[in-house]
This record gives sequence, C-alpha cells and structure tokens, in this order.
Amino acid sequence: MTAPGPAARELDLTGVPCPLNWVRTRLALEAMRPGEELVVRLDPGEPRESVPRSAAEEGHLVERAGERVRVVRR
Amino acid sequence: MTLSEAELERYSRQLVMPEWSSAAQERLRSASAVVVGAGALGCPAATYLVAAGIGRLGIVDDDRVELSNLHRQPLHLTPDVGARKAENAGVKLGFLNPETVIEPFPARLEERNAEALLAGADVVVDASDSFSTRYLVNETCCTLGTPLVEGGILGLTGLVMAIVPGESACYRCAFPVAPEPGSVPSCREAGVLGAVGGVLGALQALEATKLVTGVGEPLRDRILQFDGASGEPTAIATRRREDCPACAGVEVDLPARARDAETAGRP
Repeated sequence: MTAPGPAARELDLTGVPCPLNWVRTRLALEAMRPGEELVVRLDPGEPRESVPRSAAEEGHLVERAGERVRVVRR
Repeated sequence: MTLSEAELERYSRQLVMPEWSSAAQERLRSASAVVVGAGALGCPAATYLVAAGIGRLGIVDDDRVELSNLHRQPLHLTPDVGARKAENAGVKLGFLNPETVIEPFPARLEERNAEALLAGADVVVDASDSFSTRYLVNETCCTLGTPLVEGGILGLTGLVMAIVPGESACYRCAFPVAPEPGSVPSCREAGVLGAVGGVLGALQALEATKLVTGVGEPLRDRILQFDGASGEPTAIATRRREDCPACAGVEVDLPARARDAETAGRP
C-alpha cells in the first residue's frame, strides 16, 4: 500500500485555449520538484489532446482520466 | 518577479517552445539592449527584441526619415517622412510592446558619447551603416565588456557575428583593417534590397536574444554570411587575434558579468 502523499496541485484550465493552457501547465511544472504531481482540468477536443501530448514529449509521466490529466513531474 | 497574465498571453507562442522557459523570458525582461541605427537592420532587430519582451531598449540614430528609406526600414511609414528616426522608431516600438522601456537617442554615436550611450546595456546590436561607426561600437563594447552583435548588408548580401569581448573574436579580430574609403560602395551607391535587411536584422535580434537568455548557441567565433541571390548561408570560422588593438587586453570577468545580469534592467 502507498501512503497518501501531499495533495497534488490542481490547475483548472477549462475555458483556457491552446496554447495558453500548455503554457500554464508548463510554468506550474517548472515550479515543482521531480516526482510531484499536478492535476490539470482541460476542455474536450484540442486541449485534452495536445496538453497531455506536450507534457509527455517533455518527458513527464502522463495519465488521462476524463477531463482530468495527471502529470508527474520528471 | 513572475510573469503577469498579460505577459503569459503575449509571449505564449515562445513560452511553449521546449528550448524556452519562464526563466528565459524573465532573463529577457531583466535585460537591456541598445540598437545603434534605426535603419534597414535596426528596424527589424529592434522590432523582434521588443516583440519578444526585452526589458529596455535604447535606439540611437540622428537621421530623419526620408522617402528613400521606406523600402527597407519598416518601422518608418509614409506619414513619418521628416520625423527623427530614433523618436519615430520609439513610438512604433511602444505601440508594439508597452511592457518594454524604450529610450530613443536622437544623436550620432561618436567617440565623445559612445561609452555613455552604450553603458548599462547587456547587449549591443550594431545596425550602423559605416565602417568608422562599426569599429567605434566594437571598440567601446570591448572596453565595457559588453556582448555585441555586428551586422552589415550590401546589395543582396549580408553578414552577422556575435561578439563576447575577451572570449570570442571581436569585429577588429575578424576585419583588422577598414577597407580603403571608396573601395567598398556604400548602401547609397550600391543599393540594397529591403528584405535582405529584414533577414540580417532579424538574425541580429536572434543572436542578441540568445546572448542575454543563454538559450541556443550564439555565433561566437563564426561569421554568418548570407547571399540573398542564391539563398545560401555560409558560416566562416574566425578567432581572436592576440595583437588585436581592440580586444587583446580584455579579460572576461564572469562573476562581474553575472552580477551585471543580476542587476540589469532594474531601476
């Protein structure tokens, strides 16, 4: 079993268009330490397609669950 | 200081680049540049530096806008004919990005004022149109230890090089003697195509951006020549001359440079 870590940071990016949603995600990740988690909420369509892809391309661990995307900072 | 909402939106297309970061953007914002010349090279160079978010930009030129300038100097528009170039460029750049502090200097850069005009800059872009000014800017930057981006255009060709005094070849290392007066036609005699100024001026802005942010690899010890007729760029290697009268005695003082970068752009 895993002990619950510190609460993951959440970023509500619904209503924020591309590429500003990725800019915000990236800045939040830059301010975090490796292994820390960020949960972002995204609009359907392009945002939900491209933000996780960009995060994965930069080497972060990405897990999609509906409108929420969990990113573990590399 | 973190970036504001408006800055995030304004710079979003560069903030998404993998090579860029908010730290690079903040370094650019805390940097100060001086562009010597508000002409064919200075207009695009200043435009892209201001658009990208440089913190302060000084622009030096004592000329007035003439009708024959407009084909290659895109900050100057037809209704601006007769206006002072430095001031007119300053107005247009202020419209482009009100986040940048613009300082127009409607003066000719000469030996008596060169140090005063260039002091405090983190990078100088030489967009002047004469060999004597170019050597003077180079020598002043070597004295001050200020990184410099040289550029020049003629006809369909141009060149650009980045100079870190004490570290890489300066303009006089690369070109020890000025050509005999009259041996090289000036822009006025030989003509120039505006788009060539756009290419080289934009390259100067790119080199200056790289020098102040640490992003990418500036053209140190390399001269990039661009032949607009063929579209061929050629990089030519160059190096410091031990007996260079401009930079031989210049030592890099890295801690001092870091300190300068730390305090630059802050009132």
